[in-house]
Amino acid sequence: MTTATDPITEYRSWAVEEFRAEEEPYYVPVSDEVEVFEAAWNNKIPVLLKGPTGCGKTRFVEYMAYHLNRPLAVVRDGKAEVESESNLPLVTVACHEDLTASDLVGRYLLEGNETVWIDGPLTRAVKAGAICYLDEVVEARKDTTVLIHPLTDHRRILPVEKKSQLLQARDGFLLVISFNPGYQSALKDLKQSTRQRFVAVEFDYPPRETEAEIVQHEAECSYEVALNLAKMAEKIRNLREHGLAEGASTRLLIYAGRMIAAGVSPRRACQVAIVWPLTDDGEVQRSIEEVVSSIFED
Amino acid sequence: MTDTHSNPLVEEAREGLRQFPPALAQEFEAALDAVVPVLEPDELAQWLRDGLDIARHSLRSWEASSEYFRASGPVLEQITYDRMREWCAVGIELMETSPALSGALFRASPAVLPHLSVPQANDWAAQGKSLYKGTWKSGSLSAQYFDVSPQILPHLPLSQMRLLVDLIDSLASHSYELASACLGMAPGVLSQLDRSDRAPFLEFGGIVAHTAWVDARVYFERGPGALRQVSEEQRPRYLSLAGQVAMQVGRLGHPYFIEAAQAFSEVDKDIHEGLLELAEQLSQHSGDAAMEFIKSSPRVAQRLGIDDIARWQEFGLNILQQSRDGGEAFFRLESARGEEVMEALSSRVDLDRVSELIRMYCKALTGVDVGVKASEELTAKGVGWVDESSPTTEGTTIYLPENVERYPTKDENFAVYKVFATHQAGRLEFGSFEYQSEINPKLFPGDQNGTRNGHGGSSGNGVAPAVVEAEEGEIHTDMERFFDQFGDRRLAHDLFTIVEDTRIDTIVKREYAGVRRAFSRLQQAAIDRRRPVEDMPARQAMVENLLRASLDEIGRIRWPNELAEEMRAPLRILNRIRQDGATVQDSAAATALLYEWLSQIPNVELDTEDWSDFEQEMSGDPDSGEDSDMMPGSGSSGLEESFMPFMPGSEEQPYDSPDPVDFRGDFKPELVQLLMKLKGETGTGDAPPIPLTKEQLQELLEKSVEISINELMDMDLAESSGMFLDNLLKEVNQIQGERQEGQQAMGDDSTGAEDGEELPVEAASFYYDEWDFRAADYKPRWCRVQEQRGESGTASYYAETLHEHTQLVQETRKQFEMLRPEMFRKMKRLTDGEDYDLDAVIEWYTEKIAGGASETKLFYRRNKVERDVAVAFLLDVSASTDEEIQKHHDQRQDDQFDDDPRKYLSWWAQRRAEAARHPGKRIIDLEKEATVLLIEALETIGDKYGVYGFSGYGRDNVEFFVYKDMDEPFGDRIKERIDKIAPVRSTRMGPAIRHCIWKLQNTDAKVKILMLLSDGRPQDHGYGRDRTEKEYAIHDTKMALTEARREGMVPFALTVDRAGHDYLKQMCQDMAYEVVADIESLPRRLPALYRRLTG
Repeated sequence: MTTATDPITEYRSWAVEEFRAEEEPYYVPVSDEVEVFEAAWNNKIPVLLKGPTGCGKTRFVEYMAYHLNRPLAVVRDGKAEVESESNLPLVTVACHEDLTASDLVGRYLLEGNETVWIDGPLTRAVKAGAICYLDEVVEARKDTTVLIHPLTDHRRILPVEKKSQLLQARDGFLLVISFNPGYQSALKDLKQSTRQRFVAVEFDYPPRETEAEIVQHEAECSYEVALNLAKMAEKIRNLREHGLAEGASTRLLIYAGRMIAAGVSPRRACQVAIVWPLTDDGEVQRSIEEVVSSIFED
Repeated sequence: MTDTHSNPLVEEAREGLRQFPPALAQEFEAALDAVVPVLEPDELAQWLRDGLDIARHSLRSWEASSEYFRASGPVLEQITYDRMREWCAVGIELMETSPALSGALFRASPAVLPHLSVPQANDWAAQGKSLYKGTWKSGSLSAQYFDVSPQILPHLPLSQMRLLVDLIDSLASHSYELASACLGMAPGVLSQLDRSDRAPFLEFGGIVAHTAWVDARVYFERGPGALRQVSEEQRPRYLSLAGQVAMQVGRLGHPYFIEAAQAFSEVDKDIHEGLLELAEQLSQHSGDAAMEFIKSSPRVAQRLGIDDIARWQEFGLNILQQSRDGGEAFFRLESARGEEVMEALSSRVDLDRVSELIRMYCKALTGVDVGVKASEELTAKGVGWVDESSPTTEGTTIYLPENVERYPTKDENFAVYKVFATHQAGRLEFGSFEYQSEINPKLFPGDQNGTRNGHGGSSGNGVAPAVVEAEEGEIHTDMERFFDQFGDRRLAHDLFTIVEDTRIDTIVKREYAGVRRAFSRLQQAAIDRRRPVEDMPARQAMVENLLRASLDEIGRIRWPNELAEEMRAPLRILNRIRQDGATVQDSAAATALLYEWLSQIPNVELDTEDWSDFEQEMSGDPDSGEDSDMMPGSGSSGLEESFMPFMPGSEEQPYDSPDPVDFRGDFKPELVQLLMKLKGETGTGDAPPIPLTKEQLQELLEKSVEISINELMDMDLAESSGMFLDNLLKEVNQIQGERQEGQQAMGDDSTGAEDGEELPVEAASFYYDEWDFRAADYKPRWCRVQEQRGESGTASYYAETLHEHTQLVQETRKQFEMLRPEMFRKMKRLTDGEDYDLDAVIEWYTEKIAGGASETKLFYRRNKVERDVAVAFLLDVSASTDEEIQKHHDQRQDDQFDDDPRKYLSWWAQRRAEAARHPGKRIIDLEKEATVLLIEALETIGDKYGVYGFSGYGRDNVEFFVYKDMDEPFGDRIKERIDKIAPVRSTRMGPAIRHCIWKLQNTDAKVKILMLLSDGRPQDHGYGRDRTEKEYAIHDTKMALTEARREGMVPFALTVDRAGHDYLKQMCQDMAYEVVADIESLPRRLPALYRRLTG
């Protein structure tokens, strides 16, 4: 049905709009972001998530998709069938600089002697009433705004130019975009006309204790290690905009925590999971390593 | 003996002497008296004959005869007549050469004889004779030889005399004056030298005389002094090395000798031998390298031991064998590799190498923008800190010693730095300077924020009563108020330091488990250096014990058993501060409690043998004690004089602070709070900085124990305190100035504000390596680039230029506008796109008909490429750009006047007047115009750009002018600066280019262009071996341009020097460059070129 298990490799595949979390994603709310998001969804107001990389934006969207219930629809042969009550499907698109409007909407492809129309992820989400999450949206090419604008105001319409169609978004559809104001250059800022179509939720790294809790849970390491990692991250983040474009993300802390839990020495784990991914600048690397070696004994 | 005088032979001789000047006869008579008694008659006859023969020999030989007579007496006192004849035969033989020399020989004989045997006479005379070349000057030099021989021979055996004579002879071939002067100096010089050094000294002198004869005099004057700087046993060896080197390097040999000897005086005598051996190895390959090695040895020896120096030398020797220049630069310490090797071999860690690292580390820990500097810089400010070697902080910057060389490895020494820095950062991170009177301590609830009245204790035991409230004087900081409560400020300060350092160390060790080991090691080292407690008077001993306890060394406390109880409570107080959550408020409270305890202990000598280690349950549970235990007097024992093992009748001794603990460094909370307050950085509120009057400061200064004023300088109190105040105010004003500057700059950015005067900006310094092509290595930190803003003129220049070139401006603008639309690049063979890619479709269709079409990528798409260009525009503003551009017709006019001066004068006056009205255009003017046009064009296209100029003199002073920085918005201010672009000095291109690279590196753009506009080849003082060498400068410039390319930039050189092709070809090789032949076309050419470059 929705999940197909391949007999040989045992991997699972989903149609993009049918992917939904089966287990509750782990997420620790830092403030009222859950309530804000829920209210926005209920009112069909698109959401803009701001914040540094690896602080939990994507996880948050997954968490919300899981918790926002609506009748589960399956698109089959163009007809939607209501089957059961379930959480929201989530379509995630990582944007890159060559991502064009037709990558999102869909295109004709040649297949043998005929052309076949293939829906893009955005179209699928619109049809399925899923949450469509455009990650790092500023990276995408400017023509994508043509799609975003009519979808995000009262019209909730997706123009499919090549098929000369307009699609009305299904209930439940919500456009969520994320962007990281920190490291993008001024050129890649989000335009006001785009920004002002969203409610914005600002994310930052969680406070030390919360972060430690998250790391402990996700990395399955001891609380002591997690707390030390969180403390270290706090110190490293002090270096932001001082040779470091971004602070150490919670995600990296979790990686480090997992490495430590797997038996790698803490200093080494931090080196491979935090210091080296963060920067190539030798001097900054050494500074961070000194912080690491101050916090971890070996 | 008068009868002998009437001897007929004598009479005959007298008769014979009459034809000569009477002086001879007088000498004869005088000699006769001395000779007659000792000579046999036949000997006398012979003597007379000889004298007459000499006199009659030739025209002036009577003078020699006179010397003969005069010497005869003294000589005969020393040797027999037979021997004398033998001796004199040498002199007589010399008559054949020159009677004057002969005379000199006789004259010197009496004094020389004690040092020579008769058979040596020949040799001695022959050497003198060898100086005689038949000329008057050589004769007098030779005579001088005989004259000074008596003074020389005591110091120099005849066998070595040859060395001196050869040296003199060699000098004489250049200058008799010099030879004579040196010969005259010889006795004095030789007497200063050790016996064993004399021959080597002369040998080297001989070489100097050959290779650099003019230096000989200096060598004689300064040589012995220079030589004394070398260790005694090594002097001959050094001289022989110097000789070897001099033969290779010629004229440089002597300066090397002097300089290297100087270097020896700066290194430990024990390693002289080792150094010489290493230098000797080098001299086989290069004399320069050998001497440079010795010259550099003081600096090298500072960092390396002799074994490591040998390793360093070996490394350099390898380079030397591959490249002479490279090796020599290595030993001159002018090569990056040399520094690297030294750095790698040395265990010392220098602050300037790690300061950036430590700064970031501290910033990470504290979260504030701290600086890291050498402690010296703080002491130099004279604002209260005096110890140059101890770490400290004044609240915004962490000061550390210049280098650490405590342990045998780099890692260990770096760990020392880390502990220093972590402790100081801890003070900032954990709020050592944030004490506030109003906040209550948490761990000492009974105590009101450490503020109590009457901490004085009884005056009976010598503690001065508390100053209840500073009379009249205002209290400026909370810390000041705190210390004001205590009668003995020094004691209170010492206790607070101990308590607060304990708190910081404890937190640091808890929070940063990774530095614990290094911390403990330094604690251990610190405690091992403590002075014995047993020698201290009671109160001081107790403070010392507290300090030991604070270093985690309860076991090292020594204290009389009888007083164990008195020690226990203070220790408990100290221990409480180690609890989690302790703040500076708690430290203050603990200090107050401790003060109370301590003030009950008189500072008298302890009369007890019963010292013991203080082992107790203390270290266990800090909470075990009741609060009441901490109060003196209320506890179990109470202090009763009778129990005290104090020395009977001993007097109260002055209290001395405990020795400082090195890794904790200076702690001056009161001063730091004051500084922060003066700077308006009070943590408590946003109150504007309150300026203190000098009087208020003065008062504060006299009160505080933190300002070591008597150590400041040997001045009287009033004077030095006045100076301190000046320094303090200067420091504060400077910081406020910086802040205003910062605000101003921000204002510029946001609004492009055009009003208001720009503050004069101190030139910022940057250091760059310079490429030495001979050594094929960089000279480390060789050039200092001083960046400064260009001066401002008037903005109207800009408009005028545009007006002058209206037509051109429009053309250029139009051309640039064509660049503007976003450019498109076709991407073919896509599965989907804007349109069909016709080629692909045809191909696909053909294949399809053929029956095998599978490729379905038939579309193309245009990728938008946004123009993202940054250009740094570097103008040569050297003095040569001041040259006027010669107009072609001038030449013809010049020729019209033939020889009529009046015509010429009137023409000249006319021309001068005209020139004053319309000064001719100079190269710089055209550079400026071109810049204006380019800016105008760049503004239409929207590229990022910076306009810079460079000039300077020498490597220390490369001036780098900023007319428009990369991120500066264009405005009137920029226009004003462009007006003031003016020729300055030399052209050292390399560092200026490197600085531009740095500027571009900090700019975000896909395409980065470095455009260099010059009017000639690079040249500067010291930019090459000498003024005329061109190679070096060109190679360095080329390397700088190559560096730019490595950084992904596009360097482009443009010159208006018509002869530019030859060096630009070499400088740029495969890079683009252009020579603008007609300089007046520059304003047109430059924008065109730029367009081509980026289009």
